[in-house]
Amino acid sequence: MSGLAFLNPWLLAGLLVLPLLWWLLRATPPSPKHLRFPGVNLLIGLRDVETMPHKTPIWLLILRMLAVAAAITAFAGPVLNPEVRSEDDGPLLILMDGGWASANDWADRIEVIETLLDQAARAGRPTVFASVSQPIPQEMPYKDARDWLPTVRGLQPQAWAPDRAAVVDWLNHGAEFDTIWLTDGLRHEGVDLAATLSAKGALRLIGTVNRPLGLLPLQLDAGQLTVKVIGGAGADEMVTATAFGPAPNGAEVAFSSASGTLLAGENSTELVFDMPLELTNRVTRVVLQGQGSAGAVALADDSSRRRKVALVGSSIDEGPQLTAPMHYLRKALQPNAALIEGNLNDVLLSAPDVIILPDIGNLSPRSASSLLEWVERGGLLVRFAGPRLAKEGAGQVEDDPLLPVRLRAGGRTLGGAMAWNTPKHMQPFPANSPFFGLTVPNDIEVFAQVVAQPSPALAVRSLATLEDGTPVVTARTQGDGRVALFHVTANAEWSSLPLSGLFVQMLERLSISSASSSDTHAVLAGRVWMPERVLDGFGRLGAVDNAAPVTGERLAEPVGRDARPGLYTSGDLGVTVNVLRVGDRLAAMDAPIELIGQTSEQSLKPWFLMAAVVLFMLDILGTLWVTGRLSNSGAMRAAGVILLVGLLPAPDASADEARAILAANDTVLAYVITGDANIDMVSAAGLLGLGNILTERTSVEPVAPIGVNVETDDITVLPLLYWPITPQQSGLTDTAVTKLNRYLASGGMIVFDTRDAHLGSGFGVQTPNGRALQRLTESLDIPPLIPVPEGHVLTRAFYLLQDFPGRWIGPSVWVAAGGGASNDGVSPVVIGANDWASAWAVTDSGQPMFPVGRGLTGQRQREVSWRFGVNLVMYVLTGNYKADQVHVPAFLERLGQ
Amino acid sequence: MSQLRTDSEGLAANFPALLVEANRLAASVAMGDHGRRRAGVGEDFWQFRQALPGDDLANVDWRRSGRSDTAYIREREWEAAHTVAIWADDAHAMEYRGKGERAKLLALALAILLSKTGERIAFPATIAAAPRTGEHQIRRIAQALTSVNKSLPEYGILPEFGDLKAAKSVLLSDFMGQADQIFPRLNAIAESAGMGCLVHVLDETEEDFPFDGRVIFESMGGGLSFETYRAKGLRDEYRAKLASRSAALQEFAHQAGWQYLKHHTSQSPRAALLWLHMAIGGGR
Repeated sequence: MSGLAFLNPWLLAGLLVLPLLWWLLRATPPSPKHLRFPGVNLLIGLRDVETMPHKTPIWLLILRMLAVAAAITAFAGPVLNPEVRSEDDGPLLILMDGGWASANDWADRIEVIETLLDQAARAGRPTVFASVSQPIPQEMPYKDARDWLPTVRGLQPQAWAPDRAAVVDWLNHGAEFDTIWLTDGLRHEGVDLAATLSAKGALRLIGTVNRPLGLLPLQLDAGQLTVKVIGGAGADEMVTATAFGPAPNGAEVAFSSASGTLLAGENSTELVFDMPLELTNRVTRVVLQGQGSAGAVALADDSSRRRKVALVGSSIDEGPQLTAPMHYLRKALQPNAALIEGNLNDVLLSAPDVIILPDIGNLSPRSASSLLEWVERGGLLVRFAGPRLAKEGAGQVEDDPLLPVRLRAGGRTLGGAMAWNTPKHMQPFPANSPFFGLTVPNDIEVFAQVVAQPSPALAVRSLATLEDGTPVVTARTQGDGRVALFHVTANAEWSSLPLSGLFVQMLERLSISSASSSDTHAVLAGRVWMPERVLDGFGRLGAVDNAAPVTGERLAEPVGRDARPGLYTSGDLGVTVNVLRVGDRLAAMDAPIELIGQTSEQSLKPWFLMAAVVLFMLDILGTLWVTGRLSNSGAMRAAGVILLVGLLPAPDASADEARAILAANDTVLAYVITGDANIDMVSAAGLLGLGNILTERTSVEPVAPIGVNVETDDITVLPLLYWPITPQQSGLTDTAVTKLNRYLASGGMIVFDTRDAHLGSGFGVQTPNGRALQRLTESLDIPPLIPVPEGHVLTRAFYLLQDFPGRWIGPSVWVAAGGGASNDGVSPVVIGANDWASAWAVTDSGQPMFPVGRGLTGQRQREVSWRFGVNLVMYVLTGNYKADQVHVPAFLERLGQ
Repeated sequence: MSQLRTDSEGLAANFPALLVEANRLAASVAMGDHGRRRAGVGEDFWQFRQALPGDDLANVDWRRSGRSDTAYIREREWEAAHTVAIWADDAHAMEYRGKGERAKLLALALAILLSKTGERIAFPATIAAAPRTGEHQIRRIAQALTSVNKSLPEYGILPEFGDLKAAKSVLLSDFMGQADQIFPRLNAIAESAGMGCLVHVLDETEEDFPFDGRVIFESMGGGLSFETYRAKGLRDEYRAKLASRSAALQEFAHQAGWQYLKHHTSQSPRAALLWLHMAIGGGR
């Protein structure tokens, strides 16, 4: 792998010319300079005191020889550490892992494979291409290498780990072949695919510099969301994970980020999110920054939520502690849930997830109705029976919406001195019960219970029953929420259930407390799960095509083609299946891997060429010096230029700061740099034109507009961002999204302009620019929008306007609905398609840059467009100040009286 | 025909420019000279006469004219005018870095100045060889100076004055030619003309000799060439020879009662013109 080789070795024969060149150069003295000079007459007869060398000085000769030699060597194509280019034309297998760990640099991998296929095609090798994560073909389907290109181009990474064992089986019955394996660099215990491949023929392993990182499932640690990052390369690495969840308006936003360092020797690090409980509970997924793979996404489920559970009842028990119902609930729930205690009206205000009523019979009608309202909005009400409930619920004629079943009067007592019957045991849970899978200890006895009135729905509503079939736990949906009833007390008076571990597990199953992970298997087992949304290889959640139910047992195993990572439901229960599971490790393969983009092969041609050029430059200087022409100051300057070429000063880093200061000191209109030079130029000219109009007509005197890059520049001090949309703009990074959301929330305004007048479609959905706008603003925190309503402040902030033309007249302009209470009612976004910048744009000489409309009408349109610009700036700078005009008619009327 | 045309075009191109520049130069010197001359007013006053159309406005005596309705010209005492012979070298050697232009400019400007004071000017060996005065002579001189002469010598050869009896002579040249061609002529001129001025027009580079390396020096006409392998080595010797040439010229001037000025093209022509004017016109 090391050493020097030449691509065109025969060119080195040119070096043989060097001695000839030496002789020639030596024989030739430096050429004389011809000068017209009247003083010749005086010179004639003078004799040279010192003679110049007739021959070129030896050092100059050596310099020239070196230059020529360097040039010849350069063109011979020297290569350091040349790759062994096999001249082989035997069969070739190109194998790629293709799992989630390859997703991060998928494009690079595909590109490499295409290059390899090209090479193989040129060598005429019969080729098989296979992705380990895809279904494996039966035989070795050798084809011309180019025929594989469509397959390769259509390939997407899969969200699971490649099944290398299956490939080993497949390869074991086959003739010999060479292999190029694009690996993700992860070791799979117990499978040595590399050894199998080496046994078949030459093996090249190609990988990437970046080792894939993964996220283990989310955990709650003392109420804080923690996530474990695994994997890691040889060096310390900063890792940042971002937690996403739905904002109140439904759009998914980044809640918080957590950073940590993955130390060189370590294989994992834990990141802790510092978020309030309310946010933690709303997190839907955590994504590792800089890793675009399914393994770097951890989906949240109940286990990562800390429920807020409200216990209704007096928090101070005056009676004996151990018999108080609250005591048992408190002990059962405390480890995994946030507990609130208080009276019903108080706890309702704190918006709990669950409310537990231990033996509370009579609810005031007002409390009952607010409790019912809370349940119907998605709350879970869990009630426990007791003497009071038994008395109150006696002989119900109609359904109580706050009880799952109608109760009989009195209840019953089992066992005891005066009873015929003995205390009853519990039956194993039925398959449709959320408790299914929990083992019922034999020693649980029920001494007393409230009894449900028989009804056809009773069997469905029973989640747990006694031996004789009477329900112990019943539940029913009510609105979006549920109501559950334990037919026994929450203390040990009526049963020994609260004393057993089953009690805690049952509460967990009722989603009262966050399920511990050890319980996941039990939840999964025995049920059939339907995928709701699944992750693709890049870590994006998407809808399921061909949804097929998956057994819980399969889901408990590592994910694969038949059990994709994602969100699954089974009845009321929901689970998330992540790519990586607790306890997974990512270890590096210990085989030598060639790195993409960091191939050890290094062409020395540029260096030799550079050396030759530098030597020739020196030769020029040397020759000038030898012939005595260097004394000229012009020549010295030229020499300086020759030597200084390439040593350009680095761009000034303080420019950013200067801009920030400028923007903070003055009013600056800013536009977003799209990367399209033409559009950026028009934006700048447009804002310049608008600035001129503002300076002429209003007291707003903006300085020259600036362009900002939303990814890197500081935008906090800019009042207004004009954002022309081009289809080429790439999506925003999370940092930029966070920055823009903060900007919008703190009083900034973005004017989006799709510049295409929508061309006949509704709200830009069909135009490329409209799509780009949707893509760009996907994750921005944008409120609901409406077309600018009549009387909106935008129509009267400075001028009275009816429409808002730019270069086009047409589609409506959209602003935030209702103005909103924040930011003085100023809409954070204005979205339109009228290409305002082009209408505002002026050239350096102050002339309009683009024609608008025709004749006088066009002039009027440009004028109105300027007026809109003035209104826009006034609107963003003064807020709803002019909104008072709404009341002007009323004032006038009153004055008139 | 075509020769004539190129000549006339060349003339048309250069003639007014030279004349205008010379006029401007002369005016600047005359102005500077003016105040001094008024101090001695009275001695050569001759008479007032009424101004006629064509009279120079500068000759009007405004003090006298102010006393009556007509303008008066102050006429000076008529003196027998001197003849000043001027020669500006136009050989190939003078083409080096504007030496020739400078010499011609100085010559013409001096002629204009002298013609204003009524001197007769002669440019020997040209169309203006006959000593005359006035505007017409100036134009003729200008024409002579700007005419294109195809067969120029390599170095300036001083003209023969023939039967021209000049009171004063002004010779502008680089005096680079062979010494045995220059000095005999100079002596002859010095005999025929009473007094004179030598203006040694040189370029800085001719004085400094800032050359180095292997150089083939060629004369401006291409007739002579000299090769050196290290021009720098010749510098001192060259400068010594040039110094001895100008020393010889100064020695000549001293003996003949002439005056000698070394003028570099990088210097202002005004200074040289003022000097010339004082040396020729001021001596009256």
